[in-house]
Amino acid sequence: MKNFSRFTLLSLLFLYLFFGNCIVGNFSSVYAQDDWKQEYSSVCAKTQNAMILTPEELKSYIDRCDKLLALINELEGEQAATEKKVYTKRVKMCRELYQFALEYKEHK
Amino acid sequence: MAPIQKLLSAFIIALTVPVSASAADYSHYLRHIPPAENFGQVVLDNYSHKAGVLPVTFDHWLHRAKFTCRLCHIDIGFAMKAEMTEISAADNMSGYYCGACHDGKRVFDGRNIFGSCAENYTEDEGKRCARCHSSAEAEERKYDYKSFSEKLPKLPGNLIDWEKAESEGKVKLTDFLEGVSYKREPLKAQDDFTIKIRSWDVIFSHRKHTVWNGCELCHPMIFPSTKRGTTKYSMFQIMMKGEYCGVCHTSVAFSVWLCAKCHITLVE
Repeated sequence: MKNFSRFTLLSLLFLYLFFGNCIVGNFSSVYAQDDWKQEYSSVCAKTQNAMILTPEELKSYIDRCDKLLALINELEGEQAATEKKVYTKRVKMCRELYQFALEYKEHK
Repeated sequence: MAPIQKLLSAFIIALTVPVSASAADYSHYLRHIPPAENFGQVVLDNYSHKAGVLPVTFDHWLHRAKFTCRLCHIDIGFAMKAEMTEISAADNMSGYYCGACHDGKRVFDGRNIFGSCAENYTEDEGKRCARCHSSAEAEERKYDYKSFSEKLPKLPGNLIDWEKAESEGKVKLTDFLEGVSYKREPLKAQDDFTIKIRSWDVIFSHRKHTVWNGCELCHPMIFPSTKRGTTKYSMFQIMMKGEYCGVCHTSVAFSVWLCAKCHITLVE
């Protein structure tokens, strides 16, 4: 009985570690890929209204841009070089506009 | 502004503003404007020659008639200076830059947009390369300025009047590309303002500029100052170095040599 429990527990642990990791691992990488593009769309969607955002909102967007840039810099895969080049420039444009709007408001 | 630049600016103005000519008479300035078919032409050769093909000759007027500046320079990500984007065939094949539209699948105005680059192609398909990798006069290009711009309103120098063309409904510009553009909130344009320059004031319209460009195309890259009036720039920088207003107005937007388009007091 004791051996059986130990065997069952070890088997369950093995199954969890092997399959669980595969499923969660794959899911999270796919999810992460979508996630950064969604974050990009979300963070840059406000550029048209940058001048009416509050300094706190602008700082928050700048912070989100910085985190996104770090994520993009870590991209891997076949198209990573192109994606890095394209999205780094795009996100930097958003970030710099928010920074510009923030400095404008601070000068005011 | 450096004294030498001040001097050169004054010299340019003295050369370009004839005392006897009325301000809106552009005949004196036209010699400075390149032929309309070459205005805004960009030659891209980061990798072409090395790959054994001709450089890409890009005509702004052809694309400008269909898309907003923002779509290409923000959403797709083309840099504002020639060759700064460093587009490679691999980028295009991955669906970026030229390949964002020129993927052989996307349909525009009921027509398939031809694919840009390919790793393997037949001899016949290879002819397609010459639609971009060729001189502006090449037969494969399919478009020529004269017939393309025939029905569009013109400015002096035979340049297309884009503003009028749009207001008359002769061009309808696409501003959103599915799978490329991100959804933006509606634009709240900033106020127009006057730039005092001796007696030749410029009225700058934020509305006219943002409708095609958005905000981040100009700020802070082209106009970095956050306090109005603190950045001093000269006509030398604009006209000769292609800086500030000259980034667009020496390439695709109406020419800087059409002085009275901006310096409204010249007209009055």
